[in-house]
Amino acid sequence: MVEFWHAQTFCAYLVARRRLRTCAILAPMTAIPPPALIRQDGRDKVTGSGRYAADLTVTGMLHGAFRVADVPHARIRRLDTTAARALPGVHAVITAADVPDHRYGAFLKDRTLFARDVVRWEGELIAAVAATTPEIAARAAALIDIDLEALPSVTDLELAARPDSPLVHDAWATYEADENLVRDRNLASRSTIVKGDAATAMAEADIVVKDRYVADGSHAVPIEPRAILAEWTGDHVTIWTSTQVPFAVRSGVAETLGLAQNQIRVIVPHLGGGFGAKCELGFEAQVAALSKAAGRAVKVVFSRREEFLLPDHRRERMIMELETGVRRDGTIVARRGHLIVDNGAYSMDEPFLGQLAAMFAVGPYRIPNIDITADTVYTNTQPSGSVRAPTGPTTCWALEQHHDVVAERLGLDPVEFRRRNLVHEGDTGPAGQVFERIGVLETLERAAAAVGWGKPLPEGEAIGVATGWWPSFPLASGAHLTINADGSGTIVTGAQECGTGAVMALPILAAEVLGMRPDQFRILYQDTDAGPYDSGASGSQTTFNNGRAVIAAATEVRDQLLELAANLLEANLADLELVDGMARVKGSSTASVSIADLASEASGAGLLLGRGSGLPPPTPAVNAASCVGRLGAESFAAPTFFTHAARVKVDRDTGVVRVLEIAAAHESGTIINPIGAAGQIYGGVAMGMGQALSEGIQLSADGRQRNAYLLDYKLQTVADMPPIHVDFVDAPSPTAGPKGLKGIAEPPNVPTPGAIANAIARALGTRIHELPMTPERIWGAMAANGES
Amino acid sequence: MGGHFSAPSSLSDALTAVAAGHRPVAGGTDLVVGTRQGKWTLPEDLVALDRIAELHGIVATDGGLRIGATTSHADLAADQAIRERWTAIADAASIVGSPATRHIGTLGGNLANASPAAETSGPLLCFEALVEVRSATGSRRIALADLFSGPGRTAIRQDEIIVAVELPELAGAGSCYVRLEFRRQMEIAVVGATAVVRLEGDIVREARIAITALAPTVRRIAAAESSLIGSDGGPAAAAEAGRLAAGAATPISDVRASLDYRRAMAAVVVRRAVTGAIARARGETLLIPASASTFGAS
Repeated sequence: MVEFWHAQTFCAYLVARRRLRTCAILAPMTAIPPPALIRQDGRDKVTGSGRYAADLTVTGMLHGAFRVADVPHARIRRLDTTAARALPGVHAVITAADVPDHRYGAFLKDRTLFARDVVRWEGELIAAVAATTPEIAARAAALIDIDLEALPSVTDLELAARPDSPLVHDAWATYEADENLVRDRNLASRSTIVKGDAATAMAEADIVVKDRYVADGSHAVPIEPRAILAEWTGDHVTIWTSTQVPFAVRSGVAETLGLAQNQIRVIVPHLGGGFGAKCELGFEAQVAALSKAAGRAVKVVFSRREEFLLPDHRRERMIMELETGVRRDGTIVARRGHLIVDNGAYSMDEPFLGQLAAMFAVGPYRIPNIDITADTVYTNTQPSGSVRAPTGPTTCWALEQHHDVVAERLGLDPVEFRRRNLVHEGDTGPAGQVFERIGVLETLERAAAAVGWGKPLPEGEAIGVATGWWPSFPLASGAHLTINADGSGTIVTGAQECGTGAVMALPILAAEVLGMRPDQFRILYQDTDAGPYDSGASGSQTTFNNGRAVIAAATEVRDQLLELAANLLEANLADLELVDGMARVKGSSTASVSIADLASEASGAGLLLGRGSGLPPPTPAVNAASCVGRLGAESFAAPTFFTHAARVKVDRDTGVVRVLEIAAAHESGTIINPIGAAGQIYGGVAMGMGQALSEGIQLSADGRQRNAYLLDYKLQTVADMPPIHVDFVDAPSPTAGPKGLKGIAEPPNVPTPGAIANAIARALGTRIHELPMTPERIWGAMAANGES
Repeated sequence: MGGHFSAPSSLSDALTAVAAGHRPVAGGTDLVVGTRQGKWTLPEDLVALDRIAELHGIVATDGGLRIGATTSHADLAADQAIRERWTAIADAASIVGSPATRHIGTLGGNLANASPAAETSGPLLCFEALVEVRSATGSRRIALADLFSGPGRTAIRQDEIIVAVELPELAGAGSCYVRLEFRRQMEIAVVGATAVVRLEGDIVREARIAITALAPTVRRIAAAESSLIGSDGGPAAAAEAGRLAAGAATPISDVRASLDYRRAMAAVVVRRAVTGAIARARGETLLIPASASTFGAS
């Protein structure tokens, strides 16, 4: 248990810094370990002295504004920017005609920087304006004269997939796409996970349960609405932007504007959260093109409303039909499933996410016969894309409710049902991967025990559990490390800090290799001209991959230090170690030299410079010949496992749910930074509670957002947070990241909605098949079940 | 570019500015937020009221309280007299928006904004408060029942500002404001209800019941009130009052809830407000805000 540990640590820190005389939370002071890590960015962020992209100003800077479609589907008959250009203070207006005619997209190149001929969702960009003030820019954008011919809007997921549906993209067949994509009309991609013979096994099963779940889309809602500032120097552009993926932005701008990557420098000042919505190329290419056209620097700052309406990353709507066959002893023999995933109007990373969803519909269970299809379909709605653990919480919510229904049909306790079916070390996954040492069963036992599974509860209360899994993503990543002449350290990394603390914690890994303290390092990060490549704050991959790079860079410097020390101490290299800021002969307290002295020595000769990348661990071998639409998710590298148990209280009169307690047990390999890891779980639970209870995009019949503002897109607040018991199951895996670690950023919001759903169902005796499980939906389900 | 912003410390300067067409602004929690949300454009000329000392504060009067228009929700919620004798106002003021909203948002602003979902309106209506408005040429009192003419519309003229709310006391009354809450903070009323009752022995002798966010303006429901008078205020009587109030409501369907759900919740929330008011009239403890206990927690 590390519950409250960080509060105690912070208190201890304040006491140590004489900011507090005493600390009430503390037991005896001596029992508290020193703070493992004080974040380098902490003071800036807490005091408000930190600068975000919207805070920046450069000489001669103009302000930009976008003009968007504001209708879900239409043909552009006329587009006239004359009046906008004529407005005093306007320096440039650009449209599709002013940028290269190029389609882009991660797996399916179906989109352009600005709409050409047809608009396919309400937030699609038509033009951009640069002017001397934000107000003039907005006025000019409104003056752009657009004549649109309305086209039928495709919004219903099931109708969209039918052959008689109007097309979202008439020219879909001509688009360039990943060779593994299976496409047809509005079907942007199909992925299947197939194993054994599900049809036969289902026919032979003792009990078959089939049910259906429908989830609304939802938003990432970073507290910082995005901002982009672009400034050209000759043919080189610097872009300050709020992105999670600076290198993907750089390559995306290069691809769409026809530049070399070294003509583009992407810098992220402090990032005010992203939660996936700031992954992939955002609006940087448009702002760069606008700045070029204006001949001045241009900054665009989104309003909260634009942050809801314009990004191409919302969490996908889904319809999930699940069918499971079991033997009377509770053993699962077959799983079939059909998932329809809302791709929205354009595909960014969504085809890959469809395949992930199919894997989540399997879950971390032993299932010998599987046949799951995930269809990602185009609609005239906001494009879907990665939002923290994309498709994970939604699919887990459906699957774990489905599992409780199966358990109920069997007359089995839900925890016991899971106990009998969860994967073990040595089991074979859906596409042939063999599981190494894993701790999934322990997460179930510990989470259930922590909330007192089985104990009597007051009227209206109940406990639910949900178990899930999430992959790690082994990827290329790089870092540099230097020791300066005074013995202080500098880490230069391409990794992106999105608020999780993953980059802030890198010094822990460097310090351990070098026998130094984490606070002796300063980090330069999120600048593509400074740090080597990293894939960004995405896929919970920072510590997994950049941690490996930092260790490799530190190891180079360690070797350099030891060589210097061996000469100075006239000792054998193999006998030396770096401990407590010293190089010394192992075990000796006298034969030593400080790292600062070695650094001083090196400053006049061979500098202490390390570079690291390291090879990503291999992804498990697969035998997925029977699967189609393979984009790389058919096996899970170093999967992480988790169970949440939720105790809730339901107000039967109103359908209002209060979450009273959450236990979150996670097997994420080795935990490097307990404060940061626990923080990820607190935040993940909060986000999962939101998706469970109150966060849902409400769409009009033609596909427009009806609640694109914070009062009616209801996040959970701090006041709604229950006590959260955090527990880490230690199960280091040889194919995980350095020191046996796995990612922890995305997993914590995966099982929360499912655990809450199962608790609600047990409290009410009525199951909720729609997400979010709003009070009105709960009230409606009770009414349909015969309660007035 | 026009635009004039002043922050006078005297009421007469503010009244002069308002007479010249400047829009008064107090906490700005509706005006500024609504602007950012695109509901309206920010008026060019603004006069801020927050530096005018005489508009701020709560003082006891012969028959009750006089509350300055720029008194914050947080100050209302913390006032001992209000908590003890006008408890429904404390229930309401302590759940407006978030802690930040409550510290900057004002009672006068809440009334002038005239939202059918405004928290303080229902309790003030039931306590039969008077709103004192002033212009450069004089002042007048408007009964709260006559203040609202529709969503966002009031009987206040453009050259007038609210200076105070006069709050008469209903001796011995118990009162309660309950709001349906989907989350614990940053909430807006989807359904709200106020009940003010006075008992003689075990019998309800006086009852005032108002519904919030269930009609174009906050309003009292006479049928529900008369059904409660003469009853014991027990579960059946509270439920009947709820049923009658729900029947008199004219709810709408929107992104927050459907008409059917709102009507069903009207009955529940009125019942709970009545039950809470009865309990308080009997001297039983029901924590402020009542919503937190009724939708509540552990």
